[in-house]
Amino acid sequence: MFTKSKTEPAKPLEVLIIDDNEQITKMISSFLDMSNHECTVVNDGKEGLELIKTNQFDSIILDLAMPEFDGYEILNTLSKEDPDQLSKVIILTASSIPIETVKKFKELGISSCLQKPVDIDQLLSKITSVAE
Amino acid sequence: MIKIKQALFLIFGITSFIIFYIGILNYITTEDKNIGMVILVFSAIVSSGTFFATFYISNNLTKPIELLARRMSEFSKYNSIRKNGLDDKGIQELYSLNKNFKEMTRKVGDALEKEKQLNQELKEIDSKKTEFMSMISHELKTPLMPIKGYVQLLQKQEMMGQLNEKQLDAINEISISAKKLEKLIQDVLMAQKIDLGKLSVEKDIIESKILVENAYKAFVPACEENGVKLMMSVTASDKVYSDSDRIAEVFSNLICNALAFLPEKDATLEIGTKDNSNFVTFYVKDNGVGMSDDQQQNIFKKFYQVDTSSKRKKEGSGLGLAICEGIVKALGGKMWVQSKLGKGTTFYFDLPKAKIPIQQFRSVKAKNSRN
Ligand SMILES: Nc1ncnc2c1ncn2[C@@H]1O[C@H](COP(=O)(O)OP(=O)(O)OP(=O)(O)O)[C@@H](O)[C@H]1O
Ligand SMILES: [Mg+2]
Repeated sequence: MFTKSKTEPAKPLEVLIIDDNEQITKMISSFLDMSNHECTVVNDGKEGLELIKTNQFDSIILDLAMPEFDGYEILNTLSKEDPDQLSKVIILTASSIPIETVKKFKELGISSCLQKPVDIDQLLSKITSVAE
Repeated sequence: MIKIKQALFLIFGITSFIIFYIGILNYITTEDKNIGMVILVFSAIVSSGTFFATFYISNNLTKPIELLARRMSEFSKYNSIRKNGLDDKGIQELYSLNKNFKEMTRKVGDALEKEKQLNQELKEIDSKKTEFMSMISHELKTPLMPIKGYVQLLQKQEMMGQLNEKQLDAINEISISAKKLEKLIQDVLMAQKIDLGKLSVEKDIIESKILVENAYKAFVPACEENGVKLMMSVTASDKVYSDSDRIAEVFSNLICNALAFLPEKDATLEIGTKDNSNFVTFYVKDNGVGMSDDQQQNIFKKFYQVDTSSKRKKEGSGLGLAICEGIVKALGGKMWVQSKLGKGTTFYFDLPKAKIPIQQFRSVKAKNSRN
C-alpha cells in the first residue's frame, strides 16, 4: 500500500495508540502511517486493554488520563495478568508525573514516559527502541 | 520541693504546740493553780483552734491552688480542661481566679479550634489550587500536541508534500509561536510548582566541572552563530550533591539571558566555578548592558523585566530568573547577582558540596540505631 522510502526502517511495526483525544490519535497515526508503520487506534481504555490482550503489538502508546477506564488501570491489569506487555508501553501524558511515579513505572518495566506535546521524531525513536 | 500544705502544717503545728507548751509550763510553775488552769485551758483552745484553722486554710487555700495548677498543666497539654465540671471552692480570691482561668481557657480553646478549622480550610484551598493547576496544565498541553505534531509533519516535506516558499514561511512562523506557547506554559507551571514547594529534584553526586562543561558544550553553537566569545573557567573540582538536569536548566536560562543583552561587538561570556568552603559557586558572566542597583532588586521577581526600551532584542515572560532561583533554593543553595550599568552582569549560584551521600548517611544511621 505504501511505497517505502530507503531511510525508513525495514520492518513495519504494529503500533497501538490508546488516547481519548481523537485529534492526537489522528495526528500520531497519520505520522506513523507515513513512516510505514501499522497503526491501531482506540479512544477508550477498556477497548485498548481488550486489544492488548487479543493482539501482539510491537509498541503501545498509552495516555494516562482517560474517562472511565484510565491508563493507570490498564497498567495495573497488565502488571497482574500479562507483565511482559509492559516493556512495550510508552506513556504519553499531558499531566506532570512525580518522580516517584516515574520510578514505579521503571520498576514495572516501563522505560518511556513522554510529556505532551512530544516531539514526533522523539516519539518515533521510542517506538522503534521499545519494539527491539 | 515543699508543698504549701506541708509548710502550713509545719508552721501552725509548731505554733500550736508552742502555745500549748507555754500553757503547761505556766500551769506547772504558777502558784495560783486556778489562774494556771484558766491559762492552760485557754492555751489548749487556742492551739487546737490554730490546728483546725490549719485544716480550714489548707482546704480553702491550697486545694484551689492545686486545682488551678492541675488545670494549667492540663490546658497546656490538651488545649482544654478535661474535668471542667469540678466544683470550685475556696476563698473568694482563689475561687474567682479559678473561675476566670476556666473562662479564659474556654475562650482560648475556642480560638485554637477556629484556627485549626481555618488551617484546614487553607489546606483545602491549597490542594484545590494544585488540582486546578494540574487540570489547567493538562488542558493547555493537550491541544498543543496536535498543533506541534502537524507543524513538524508539514515541515517534513518528503512526507506531506512540497510547500511553496510562502507556505513554508507560514508554517515556520506557526512553529515559532507554538514553541513560545509551549515554553510559557512550562514556565508558568514550573513557577507554580516552586511557589507550592512541589518542585521535585533528583539528587546525585556530580562533578561540578562536568556541569559547567555540559552547559559549555550546549551553547558553543549558539555563541558561534552570534559571534560571542564563550569561555570556561573551572577552578573548583569538588563534587556537588545535586540534580544535573535542573542545573542545566539554570545554566540555560542564565546563558540565554546573557546572550540577549550582550553588545554587538566583542561580546564575551564566561561560565565557571569558584571554590567556597561548603559550597561550589557557579557563575555566568557577561560584558553586556548590565543593570542598575534598583533593577537588580527586582529581577528575581516573577514577571519582572527591565525595560530597555527599543534596544530590547529579547522577548520573554520574566519568569526565567524566578525559576532559576527556585531551583537553586530547592537544591539547597542560593543565587545572587553582581552588575553595573554598561559594564556587564555576573550571576552566581551556590550548590552544597557532596560529603557523604544522604542515602549512605541514612543507612549508617539506621544501622547504628538498630545496634
Ligand atoms: N545578563 C543580563 N544582563 C542584563 N539584564 C538581564 C540579564 N539577565 C536578566 N536580565 C534582566 O532581568 C529580567 C528578568 O530576567 P528573566 O530571565 O527572569 O526573564 P526574561 O528573560 O525576560 O524572560 P524569560 O526568561 O521568562 O523568557 C530580564 O528581562 C532582563 O531585563
Ligand atoms: Mg530569561
